[in-house]
Amino acid sequence: MAGYNLERLNFLIVDDNKHMRALVKTILHALGTKNVADAADGADAFKELRCFPADIIICDWNMSPLDGMDFVRLVRTGKDSPNPFVPIIMLTGHTEMSRVLEARDAGVHEFLAKPISAKGLYARIRSVIENPRPFIRTPSYFGPDRRRRQTPFKGKERRKAVKEALQKNEDQFSLSQDEVNALLKG
Amino acid sequence: MSDDEVEFITPPNKLQSKVTMSAGGVDPATLARAEAVIASLQGNYLQWVEDDLTNLQGAYERAMSDPSNRRVHISEIFRIAHDVKGQGGSFGYQLMTVIATYLCRMVEKIENPGPEHMAVIKLHIDALRLVITQRMEGTGGAAGESLVKGLEAVIGKISR
Repeated sequence: MAGYNLERLNFLIVDDNKHMRALVKTILHALGTKNVADAADGADAFKELRCFPADIIICDWNMSPLDGMDFVRLVRTGKDSPNPFVPIIMLTGHTEMSRVLEARDAGVHEFLAKPISAKGLYARIRSVIENPRPFIRTPSYFGPDRRRRQTPFKGKERRKAVKEALQKNEDQFSLSQDEVNALLKG
Repeated sequence: MSDDEVEFITPPNKLQSKVTMSAGGVDPATLARAEAVIASLQGNYLQWVEDDLTNLQGAYERAMSDPSNRRVHISEIFRIAHDVKGQGGSFGYQLMTVIATYLCRMVEKIENPGPEHMAVIKLHIDALRLVITQRMEGTGGAAGESLVKGLEAVIGKISR
């Protein structure tokens, strides 16, 4: 049976617990990955990112001195960030809604609650592969589009690309729903 | 950029060029093998959770003997319990995750740690130890259920 072949992807695991790092690495290898680097905290991970071209980062929350949220913000908005667009899967035991929203607002792509399973981790990896998200830059946020569902937005349209497209098309003809969706999906 | 402005960026899609759909890819059989690999690590888990339990006990004892720094020691208890919470279920010890979750939630709410809080923390640590020494896999059956109910009852008492 055919499935996604992950062997060319580079994964960076960031977790202060060596057993968790070993577990995630074991799962990734069992899923066919070859290139997996790891780091014990956000600062080490950021250094690692300079020489390791990670395609996906799997990151814990509770770490010191630089925790998962600080690391995500550094990757997204740090002036010397090697890859501000890299997909990040936040792996954490913090499953409260406020924490999920905080992680989303820091710029993570996916959220996976511990304890993890191979199926759960693969589902998040697949989601990152299948649903490439456009990035949004506002004065207060830089990261993947937080609007996951493609439902019509009733508020004031503030997105530059959509506004420009709508303005351009207003003089010509209306956008079809598919075109609007395509714009929203990037 | 004004406060009202939102820039919409399409990043390069590197994943699409590196991931292929092929016969050697991740299929249900691969996932089943991966789950089996995790299950095979249960023996390793039982070794390293011993360290967590020892460290929990150590942090508890320091919290008792060094009350002026009790908050610091309780933070350490939270940190270790949080690790236990995040690992047990992966290796077939869901009850460890349940009890450690209770411990984390209780510890988070403590404002002024007193003897009653320390007693309940100790009960949780003992319960975690019991789950491992008795090899109470999964949710621990009837014994696990009564253990959890007992912990809920004592947490309820100190929460009033």
